[in-house]
Order: sequence, then structure tokens, then C-alpha cells
Amino acid sequence: MDKTILDQMAMQRALTRITYEIVEKNKGVDNLVLVGIKTRGVFLAKRIANRLKQLENIDIPVGELDVTNYRDDISHEGSNRDKFNNDISFSIEGKRVILVDDVLYTGRTVRSALSALMEIQRPKSINLAVLIDRGNRELPIRADFVGKNIPTSKHERIKVSVSEIDNKDTVELIK
Amino acid sequence: MDSNINKVLLLGSGPTQLGIENELDASAFEKLMALKKMGIKVIFINDNPFSVVSEEIQPANVYYQEINFENVKRLIEKEKPNAILPTVSGLNGLQVTWQLIDSGVLERNHVQILGISKDNIAKIINDNNLNDLLSEINEPIISSKIVNDYEEAFDFVRGIGFPVIVKPISPNRDTSRKLCSNGEELQAALEYSFSRTYVNQCLIEQSIVGLKEIEMVGVRDVVGNKILVSGLEDMDPIGIHSADSIIFAPTQTLVSQEYQRLRSATFKIMDALNLNGTCHVQFAQSRTDDKYYVTKVSPFFTRNTMLASKATGYPISYISGFLELGILLTEIKLPERFGNSLAIMEPTLDHTVVKIPLWPFEDVPDADRHLNTTIKSVGSVIGIGRSVEEAIIKAMHSSQYSPRDILPTAQKMDEDSLIRQLIHPLENRMLILIEALRRGFSIDELSELTKIDQFYFYKINQLLKIQEYVKNHPLCSEAVKIGHKYGFGDGMLAELWNTDIMSIRKINQDNGFRVTYKEVEPSAGEFIEKTNIFYSSYELENESSPFNSKSALVIGRGGNQLGPNTASDYYTTQVLIELHKLGFKTIIMNTNPNAVSLVPHLSNKQYIEPIQLGNILNIVEIEKPEYVFLPGNRHYLTKQLRKFKNLKVIILPPDQEKTSFNKNKANTAVDLFIDGNNILPITTTTLDTANNKNSLKYITNYYQPMKQHTKYGNYLIDKSISMLKNSDYQGLIQVLFDYDSLTDQFEFIGFRPIRITETAFLSKITGVNWVRVLVKKNVGNVDFNRLEKMVKPDHYLRVANMISQFPFNQLRANQHAGSTQQEVGARLEFKNIN
Amino acid sequence: MTTTRYLILEDGTSYEGKAFGSLATTSGEIVVNSTMNGYQEIITNQVYHNQIIVFTQSSIGNTGLDQNSYESVQPTAKGVVVREYENLATDHFKRISLDKYLKQHNIPGIYDIDTRQLRHHLQKVGNMKASIVDVDDEHAFDQLTATVLTNQQVAQVSTPKPYANPNDGDNVVVIDFGLKFGVLRELSKRKCNVTVVPYDTSSERILDLDPDGIVLSTGPGNPNDIKPGVLEMIRNVQSEVPLIAFGLGHELFAIANGAKLNPLFIEHHGSNHPIREIITNELLFADQEQGYQIDFKSVDHSKLFITYLDLINGSIQGLRHRDYPAVSFQFSPDGSPGPKDRDDIFDDFIETMATRRRQAYGF
Repeated sequence: MDKTILDQMAMQRALTRITYEIVEKNKGVDNLVLVGIKTRGVFLAKRIANRLKQLENIDIPVGELDVTNYRDDISHEGSNRDKFNNDISFSIEGKRVILVDDVLYTGRTVRSALSALMEIQRPKSINLAVLIDRGNRELPIRADFVGKNIPTSKHERIKVSVSEIDNKDTVELIK
Repeated sequence: MDSNINKVLLLGSGPTQLGIENELDASAFEKLMALKKMGIKVIFINDNPFSVVSEEIQPANVYYQEINFENVKRLIEKEKPNAILPTVSGLNGLQVTWQLIDSGVLERNHVQILGISKDNIAKIINDNNLNDLLSEINEPIISSKIVNDYEEAFDFVRGIGFPVIVKPISPNRDTSRKLCSNGEELQAALEYSFSRTYVNQCLIEQSIVGLKEIEMVGVRDVVGNKILVSGLEDMDPIGIHSADSIIFAPTQTLVSQEYQRLRSATFKIMDALNLNGTCHVQFAQSRTDDKYYVTKVSPFFTRNTMLASKATGYPISYISGFLELGILLTEIKLPERFGNSLAIMEPTLDHTVVKIPLWPFEDVPDADRHLNTTIKSVGSVIGIGRSVEEAIIKAMHSSQYSPRDILPTAQKMDEDSLIRQLIHPLENRMLILIEALRRGFSIDELSELTKIDQFYFYKINQLLKIQEYVKNHPLCSEAVKIGHKYGFGDGMLAELWNTDIMSIRKINQDNGFRVTYKEVEPSAGEFIEKTNIFYSSYELENESSPFNSKSALVIGRGGNQLGPNTASDYYTTQVLIELHKLGFKTIIMNTNPNAVSLVPHLSNKQYIEPIQLGNILNIVEIEKPEYVFLPGNRHYLTKQLRKFKNLKVIILPPDQEKTSFNKNKANTAVDLFIDGNNILPITTTTLDTANNKNSLKYITNYYQPMKQHTKYGNYLIDKSISMLKNSDYQGLIQVLFDYDSLTDQFEFIGFRPIRITETAFLSKITGVNWVRVLVKKNVGNVDFNRLEKMVKPDHYLRVANMISQFPFNQLRANQHAGSTQQEVGARLEFKNIN
Repeated sequence: MTTTRYLILEDGTSYEGKAFGSLATTSGEIVVNSTMNGYQEIITNQVYHNQIIVFTQSSIGNTGLDQNSYESVQPTAKGVVVREYENLATDHFKRISLDKYLKQHNIPGIYDIDTRQLRHHLQKVGNMKASIVDVDDEHAFDQLTATVLTNQQVAQVSTPKPYANPNDGDNVVVIDFGLKFGVLRELSKRKCNVTVVPYDTSSERILDLDPDGIVLSTGPGNPNDIKPGVLEMIRNVQSEVPLIAFGLGHELFAIANGAKLNPLFIEHHGSNHPIREIITNELLFADQEQGYQIDFKSVDHSKLFITYLDLINGSIQGLRHRDYPAVSFQFSPDGSPGPKDRDDIFDDFIETMATRRRQAYGF
């Protein structure tokens, strides 16, 4: 049984709220950059950037981070970090980075993302925004901005669809 | 907007039938205006000879072909349009589009679909898919289940509650559906059904018969902005087809919470279908709790979409034309005269609109007159008033109930029949309701029997009281005042008091009772919207003022009925277009919500008023038009209007009274145009009947040129001209002959003015718009030489064929060949001569 | 037998109509509402305190009043003006009829008025006083001219004492400026444990209730007439807990944060104006009961976001504090009456309260 947790409207609202909270927490948008974790985190980051554009008429750069090869729980052969498919065409040195992902679960993805970011340059700060926090953390990581908290068991799955690639905006709980 | 779109294939309505009137052509017209404004080239396919749209498009881009897969496919391959627009072509248009998707034609030819996506068309044309979609978004649908035994059946019914309908799956003999309201009935129905199924299964379905039917019409743009244009409330409960229901706008008996729930549901469905354009959703609303069910989703233009448009003044089809191209609601620029925010404001009404259907039972007497889930009406009329009573009276007076009585009766009916008809209504149900109230049935009881909300009985009762009061106070000014307030026009008052209309008008004058016209516009008076659509009331403020320049009033044909049907309205539109060209401000008066002649772009001002003498005189008094045009044969009205010598009344086509025949049988005709002493032959036609009765009234099949044209064409034409020389016939005249194949001889039969349907046929096949020529002839000058050059009845590469269509199948009437009075529409096709 | 009565306007215009409801003579500010459904919610909304309501909907009362659609216990509107009214209480719900209800609450109604003309007239002349009277003589007009309408509307309609609407969810304090029940219903639906307090309750007392969130309710009258203490209260609580404000509450929130408010030439009551949410560019519709608008130039952008705009008259329809989770709306998203296009504003409020609690306590 699939259960829709967030429909299109609710997803929009959650991103809107996160956007406002980002401005609130950072006391503005100075020095702000967004980095989305591939794949869906990137689209969410872009949507947040669009909202900031609407709100403050300012273009916030959006970077893309691919952390599949950084995950410490996924073994990879002959690790060659140059192959990482990252696309951050701007400097993050001294910036306030908002890292964006769709689901926060064990915390391992975020940990890898943090490592990857720190390896590139030294941001002033890194905050984490996630659409869904589903609990079950295995690392001491917590999101600064959460669209929705959904307590889940480890046997369940959360499926986030974004219209850019999935033709719809939904978050579903799959049992 | 997608800038790659510069050529669009627009699917037309096909022939008129029950369920498809001219609303599709009217909305296609508005759509065409929108597409033209965007500089887009339009290819149009429609085999309906009475289409107005096909004359607004360059002839080379119009295809008179049946709208089916093969034809449209061929057209796409030939014309290579960038996009196809199927939303003004009814369900057929979507079906054809689906076949085009499914067979890969659209993809191969890189044709986009405007308005709705491929996947979602599949959902709309397949009930199961639609139900899945609705379930997915948690919108309630009628539950049904196939059960294998009693236990399963009872479990299911315990879940959904009574009433339910039970029927056997794969029945082994004739069976009926059983309606059950309690456990005993369910037990019996299951015994009955299980004993009659091959596969030992029954279907149980929740019954919603008797619930309130509510309809919602909305628009949505590509980014998801939505507006609910109008809610509509069917007076008749679920179980009677919405086209056969009396409908009110706005909704009358919903409380805010109920209304908003349905509005939100409509939006949710539009979002789920991800459509840009318009959507019409029908609901069954419970009368005892807040439950509702979605019963139908139509993401294309329907009759009730048109009703919503007429009720609000919000030009739905024009606006959705832009939406379908991907333009946002906030970006749409309406013609200047409108208020600049009309497109994005949610319409709010300060008037009531009532739609009453018209049925064809007088013309097709052996049809079953019971109103049920199959459509039976052929047309409809609307009445608009500031009060509900006013709107009801106006609509009733415009519908086919006896024109002499205000509130007609069924006094002779015995009590049993009356009750039977309350429960199983026929098309005359309004009469039955009135009679039942007259006989003192209680409103509670009536509401219980008919499942019609008590509100409506209070309203009808109120009208009965008013009528009684008015009747008992003949020629009394207070009675006139009260009558006016509740929608009784001067003509009705005159009839009630058995006097002539002038004495009522005198009372008006003496007492300063003046009719006021109110604008139908969607802001309820907040802004000046200048829709230029008016209806009458008797209040303080009149909002309609005459034009500064010369004007002409055109009197529309009213609701569609069998016979010339939508051809009359086609005729009316051409009169309007020509008058406009000749520099007149045009004023149309009509009650037919589906009429193309009420498309906003086709006139300068519209009056939605009963087409009755009193109402006409009131409009004439305000507008002081130079001419009053009366298209279509309306002897009674013609006679009445002719009494007013100061009115320049022009009847088109001229009265059939001028007809003269030797006998009532003909199979060949020569059509001519006569202007003064000039006679121009137009063409020859063969007239055919379906049943070989050969009688004039059964001619329903027309070929042009006539079959023996090569041999006898010029002979007959010359003969006709010589006979018409020195006659006093003017305008479009048909000379009738009877050809006998045995003797190879033509017998002269007579003359008649060319009928409405044939005039349309002639215009389509000659490339000359003969209605417009007639208008010119009446109010200006015809350039005869130019006309002569355009019409050459001597050399034909193709045969044109117009075939009348009849509603007998749809009405399940036991009749095959029809008369001209029974025509519902026609098809037009061309065949090349080898 | 119907009684002839008159609706007279401050500018000397008189309308003859027929009486329904109470036969009292009353005066108030005349306002027009163009919502088509929900006459019951409108009449019982305290925002109409001391006002005479003109309905553009040509016929009201087609359904009786039902238990679930009251917006207050004691309606305080001064009159109802309509073209037609129905006196039905007929359906399965056995509702009370409009006429009976207005009599019970001593509110006069007048019908058979060309409300369309009246609206056109008011659009031209603007807000003004009006009376419903038996005779439209000079005396009546003198009386009307001399009538001074109170500027203490909020004090008159706010609850005198706090009361609770217990539930087991978030702890919400509602400041009552003339509360409509729609907001309470939305909070109840989301299991909020609500305490409603008088409008002049101090911030200390409010914060002592340990709220997860605070609601500033809708209400009647001129926001500029409010006691300064109320503005101070708003400033004090907005930095402490999530705050959400509607209607008058929104106007007060704006003033508390430095904005200025001006009266509209003609009050706007209806739900037909598209409202644009700036951050997403989405359109929505909602009930609007608006007599004042925020002066654009007075908004301190370093403190406030403008979040929503009315696309018809350009007025500000929503604000958000830059530094605190405090949001305000000119419109009523609760859909009683009117569309519920944005009732998820309440979901957002709940989510915000949860987030703040997590941040504060880590759960």
C-alpha cells in the first residue's frame, strides 16, 4: 500500500516555509548559496532559489553535489574522486551554504556531502534543509530546516517524486 | 506560450444531434478568435453544413469531412499542423484524438495536443481509468463490487449503506436491475440475481438516484491557477439526465461549506488531470449529510460549460483558447471594452439564470417521453432575472409550454396519473408540479415524491399566488407592478386579462413603470465590465443606453428545436455579420444559451429576453433601431410586429406563404437569385427522399449539381429564368421540377423562397454567402455584376451532398424516414466527379 | 402583510423597500458583500459589528441557518439589505429561517431594493453611514447625520474573559478582536488546545499560558483606534512564539511593526479577487473583509516581507516577519464562508509550531 504523505500543494508549502526559515535564520540572503544533493535535492534547491528570486529579487547560486561515491556504506572500487559528478561553478569559500536533500534518514548521505563540501573549499557555515525527516538516524546529524517530519520504520520506504523528472510532485510512504 | 505553434488543427462538432447543439460551434468560434489573435493558422474539419466557424476560415483550410480517425489522420499527414485542439468537438473529438495517439499518428507527425495531455485523455475516455484517478486523489466515486455470495454482498452493503442496485453478471435470461433499500430487499434481489447468472456473480452498486445534481465549471492555466466560473444546480435529481433537467445558476440550495467542498474537488480534479483550459465536473450531493460523489468529468467544452458562460458573462471558450496555448490567466488581454481584470476574477452573480430544456416529442410522437438517464431534449432556453421567480417565468415563457397561458395546467389529469407522473416524470413535469401544488399537495410530500428540493416548490407556489393576485386585479396598476417584479411581461399580462398589449403599455406610461436593463457581468456591480449582455427587470437603474449611430435589432430563433434547428441560428449569425459590415450597430435578442448568434464577438449588444412582443417593443423603445430583422419563419410574431407601422421589419427568408405549387412532389430544383430585374442562376440540385415518398416535406437529401446537370442543366436554368421574368419574386427563389426517368421529362412544379437549411447548403457549396447577399439586398445594394462573376453554374468538378439527420435512434422511436420538420441536423460531403 | 421601510444613506439617498427580520430602527456603516454562498457566516461574522450589510447575491435565505455555520454566538450586524429573501427552514436539517433568526437577534432586514444600483452608487460615493427606518423624512436624515458610530468595536465584541477549547494538540492562544469561529474550527480540526483571551490581555499573561503559537483574530473597526497596549503586546509575543494573524489581527500586526494603514474608499467584502502569493506566483481566492489597507511605502522591508497581493486593487494581503515565524493575512483562509484555496495556512502553522518546539527542546 502506498500512502501519499505530501501532495503537490503540501510539497509547495513545505518548500515555501523552508525558504522563509532560511532567510529568517540567516538574517537575510547575503553570502547565501544552495547546494542540492543529487538527484532530487538539486531540483528542490532550484525551487528554493526560485522562491528567493521571487521574494528578494536576487539570484542565489545553486550547486549540484553527487555523493554516491562518498557514501562510507557503499563500497567502491579504485575510488577516484575526480570522477565525481559535482557541478558547483562558484566559490563556496566563506559562504553560508544551504545543503538541500529530499529525505534525511540515517545521516550518511549528509555526512558524505559535508565531507565533499569541506574538501572543495571552506564555507562559513553549512545548514541542512530537507523535505522529509524520516528519523532512524545512525549519525549525530540534524536538519536545520524540515518540510515534514515523518516517523517511519526501517521496513518502510519514502518515495519523493518531483515534477521535473517524475511528472508529479508527491511524497509517498511505501510499505 | 509555445512559440513553435503556428498551425492548429481544430476539430469541429460534427452534425447536430441530441446532446450536441450549436454550443460547440459557438465555442469553436470564440476559440478561433483567440487563435487568430495569436496569429495562428487554423485548419478546421467539420461536416456540419450549419457551422458558422467554417465560414470564418479561409475555404482552403476547411475540410467538410466526418470527424473520424481515418479522415483526421489523412488531414494531419497532408496539412502537417503543429498541434491539434480537440476540446470543442465533444467526446468524439477526444476519442478520435486518443486513436491518433494510440496509433502513433500524432507522434510521427510531431503534433502536440492542446489543453490536455496524452495520458489524461486515456483517463477521460475510459471510466475505469478515471475512477482510478479519482480514487488516487481521494475523490469519492460510486462504489461497486462484484460479489460471489450473500456474505460478501452483505459485507459490502454494510460498508457503503443502502440504497444499492443489484444485477447479475452474465445473465442467462432477461433480467432487470433491482433497487434495494433494506436487508429484506437485498436478500430478495440477490436470490433473484444469483438464480439468473451464468458465472454465479452479481454486481452491487451504490445507488445515488434522488441525490442533488450539482455541476461545476472551472478554468485552469498551465501553471495551475484556477477559477471556478460557475456552479450550476439541477432542479431535477440524479436519475434525470442533466440535459433534461431544469438548471439554475448560481446554485440555490447549497450552504457555503457544501459549495466550497465541490469547488475544491473540482480544482483537485483539474490539477490531477493537469489540464489547461476548461473543465466541467458533475456531482451527486447528498441531501441528508455532507457526502458527495463525482459522477462525471468533462475536460472539454459542454453545453453546461456554455450555460456557465452565459450565466456569468465570463467568456470561457475565448479565455480557454489562450489557456490551451499555454498563456497564463494573468497574461490574457481581453478586448478593450471589458474591464481589465475580468479574466482573473472569480465570477460572482447578482442575478439568477434558469435553463429549461425543449423536447422534440411533438415532432416525434412515438418516442418514450419519460425523463431518465438517456438524453431526450433537443434544445433549451434560458431566462434571467433579479429574482428566482422572474427567471423561472421568463424561461417558462420562452420554452414550448403553451404560449397563451402563463402558468399552464394539467387540470384534467386524474389523481393517480398525477402521482405516477410525479414519481416517473415526463417532459411536462413542470406542469405536473404546478398542478399538484394547485391541488393542495403539501410541499413536504411533493419533495418526497419528486426528490426536488422544497425551495423550488416554494418558488412555484409563490408564482401561483402572484398569478392569482394579478388575474383577480385586471388592469390595476398595482397588479402590473407586482406582475413585472415577478417576471410577468406586458404580453403575458395582456393575455391574462384578455386585452391587448397597448392597454398594458398605457398603464406603464401613466404610472411611470419603466423597464430597466441590467448587465450580465461577473463582478456583481463592482466594476463596469461592459459585456454588453442585458436582461430586463423593473428596478431603479437602467444600464443599457442606445447607440449613437444607426443600429439594427436581430431577433434570434430561441431554443433549438427539430426542423431547421441550428440552421436558423446559422442564418441569424450571418445576418448579424452582414449588418455589422454595412455599418450597423447590431443588437441580438435571444434565449438560446447555445446559439452562435450569442457569441460576444458577433454583435454589439445582446438581450437575453423572451422573444415575445412586449419584450421586443421594450427593446425597440430603448434602442430605436433602424431595422428589425426576423430570421426564420415565425408567422405569429411576424403578424404581431407588422401591426407596428413605424417598425421596419425585415423577414428572412421571405414568408413561405409566397410558395406556389402545382403539386406536392418534386425531385429537382433550380436555385436563383433575383434582384430587381436581374436574375442570377445559382445552381441546380437533385432533391431526394429517404422513403421514396417524394413529397416535398420528406426531402432530406440534396445533391448539387443535379444528377442530369450535364444534359439538362442549362435547359432547366433557362426555363426557370424565363418563368421568373416579369414575376414579382425577389431574393433567393427555388424553382421546383419533377423529373420522370421513364419519360426523361421535367414537369414544372412551382416556386418557393429558398429554405433556411438549403440557403446554408448553397452558401457552403458556392462560396457566396447568400444570407449576407439577402441582407445587402434589403438594406443596401447588391453588386450584381460582381456576384455574377462569382457564380458559375455550368462547370462542376465535384458533387456536394447534404444529408439530413434524425433523432429517431437516440429517442428509440420506431421511425426511419423523417420529414423536414423532424430534422435534427445534417451532414455535408463532397465527392469528386471522375 | 409586508411593511414598507426605508434604507437611507448619509448622502441623502433614500431607498424604499420592504421589511423582514426585526422592525428596529438602526444605523451603521453600509458595506457591500459579493459572496454568493454563506449569508449565515456573513451575518454572524463580528467583523460586521455596527455595519449594515448589502448582499449582491439577489436572493438569500434559500436554505435555513444551520448549527455548523455560525461565526459567532451573538451577531452584531446592524442590518441586512437584499433584493429578495427567502424564509425557508425546510430541509432535512430542520434549520431556523433567516427571518426568524434576524428577529431573535433584533437585526432589521430590508428587501426589494435595487441592490445592483445601490452598489453602483456606493462604488461612486464611498463608505458612508446608513439607517434602516420607518419613514425617510428630514428627521430621519438629521438623526443619521448626527449619529456618531462608536470606535470601540473591538472592546464591544471581544470576549470579556478567557475561555478554553481543550484538545490534546498544540497549545494555541487566540487573541479575540472579534473572533470568527471558522478559525476555531480549523484549529480544532488540527487538535489544537485553544485558549481564547480578551483583546487587551498583556503579553506576560499570554506567555504565562506557555503557548506553542498565538493567533491574532479578525475583528471589526478601524485598526488605528486600537489601544497602544495591544501593539506592544504583539511586539512582545511575536519574537517569542510562532504567530499567525488574520484580518484586523493582520492590520494590527502591520502597525505593530511600523506600517501605516489607510481606509479604503469603499470597503471590500467578497471572495472574487485573485490574490497572488508572491513567493510562488500562485493565484488563490479567499474571503476578504477589508476596510483598511497598508500603505505600501510605510512597510519596513528590513523587518517585513510582503507575501500576498490583491491583483485587483493592489492591496497587501499578507506579511511575514523577517526575523520571527510571524505571519499575517488580510484574507480569511478558513473558508467560512468563501473558498478554501489556502486553508493549508493552518497546516503550516502547526508545522511551524512543531519545528520551533523541536528546536527549543530537541523533540
